[in-house]
Amino acid sequence: MVETSRGPLMEHTIVGNPDYGELLVTLAADEVLIAESGAMSRMSPHMRVKTVSIGSFGKALWRRLTAKESVFAGKFSDPEGGEVAVSPNLPGTVFHREMQGGDDKVYLTGGSFLACTPGIKLRSRFGGFRSFFSGEGVFILEATGEGSIWYSGYGACFERHVEGALTVDTGHVVAWDPSLDYTIKGMGSLKTTLFSGEGLVMNFTGSGTIVLQTRTAPGIADWISPLLPV
Amino acid sequence: MVEVEILNPGTFASARATLQPGETFLSDSGAMVRMSGNITSEVTTLRREGGGVMGALKRVLAKESFFMSTYQTTDGLPGEVILAPTHQGDILTLESTATEKWVCSGGSFLGGESTLRLDPSFQGFKGFFTGEAPFFLNVIGDGKFFVNGFGRLSLIETHDGVAVDTGHLIAFTQGMEYKISKAAKGWISSMASGEGLVMRFSGKGKVIVQSHDPTRLGALIGPMLPPREA
Repeated sequence: MVETSRGPLMEHTIVGNPDYGELLVTLAADEVLIAESGAMSRMSPHMRVKTVSIGSFGKALWRRLTAKESVFAGKFSDPEGGEVAVSPNLPGTVFHREMQGGDDKVYLTGGSFLACTPGIKLRSRFGGFRSFFSGEGVFILEATGEGSIWYSGYGACFERHVEGALTVDTGHVVAWDPSLDYTIKGMGSLKTTLFSGEGLVMNFTGSGTIVLQTRTAPGIADWISPLLPV
Repeated sequence: MVEVEILNPGTFASARATLQPGETFLSDSGAMVRMSGNITSEVTTLRREGGGVMGALKRVLAKESFFMSTYQTTDGLPGEVILAPTHQGDILTLESTATEKWVCSGGSFLGGESTLRLDPSFQGFKGFFTGEAPFFLNVIGDGKFFVNGFGRLSLIETHDGVAVDTGHLIAFTQGMEYKISKAAKGWISSMASGEGLVMRFSGKGKVIVQSHDPTRLGALIGPMLPPREA
């Protein structure tokens, strides 16, 4: 196997974690950052913004339909180098992962993607029959390639190394390593499962890293709904 | 000068103004959380110089509430007023001086000394139509005041300019040159990249930016809420 060489890591800082994390990137001349649609808050005056779809348009559209990711992303570059700041739509924690290329792979749940360098590939993947019950969407994003990827979760998030098994409430997963596998399990009897809504859990097994969020968007929507005037 | 302090800076910041006898302070009328027993608050519309009813109306357009509250102590002893924004996020104390004057985006002015006036007749973007409603208030006079935002607030001191997404702009110093323009070169590209419009500031000055954009939060949570009755 040919050893792939890696370029220097793009200069970046994550500030504001765990509650209002945002990503600040310093681009060298002609270095490129690709960011989730609408994520930019500020940038250097001569920064060039272009619209791209990550991968082919068809693939991007497929990701839109399946994993609820935007079809288009913003492509930022500056001929003289410059700075750009991006933030997720929900307040929370921003994570960085350096992808090594080759077999290196990470799974993200729909909506978690924030930004990446051009060497990263995103693919929408059917999560299997079990994913219907995972609360994470039926499709997940698979990120491969070489470079940096940034993703985010809602609220304070934590990264955990799993050795053996970990039980997670559905809807709280942000990202996980493919070396981990999961099954959907009922917690307690069928009656509990059907009536409590607390019944289903994801049971992760194997060895690898998982990132979890402490809040969920459907959760806050359910909480706010009865409080709204009719 | 009224003594001011930011309490619990960060996600759930609030602001305290300690009033000596004879000092007055004003705020957005919904912003008061608590005040000492010896303080009276008087609800007024915008001050006369602001144009009476028309001024108040313009402030509604600027997302500033129709009414302002004015606070003062009644018994010759000091007292305090605590202010907080409705949404979660940080607060910064700014000072309007003879050499440094500010322009605030609609909704970001929380409160300030009564020596200040808010002028809603800022006509920077006359005839400009956009969903992101760039409406601004000129802060006139000398004194301290508070601005609030969604998430973190960053103060950018720029010498060669900065481009800010209109949904993230909180305040900027008067005298900076700026223009509103598309984020990318073409309209389609600007809209598709999700960045829409940016304010391009050039020259030297200060710009305050909020880390998160409430519009994007709304776009995510909105579809999960029950439909609004007409």
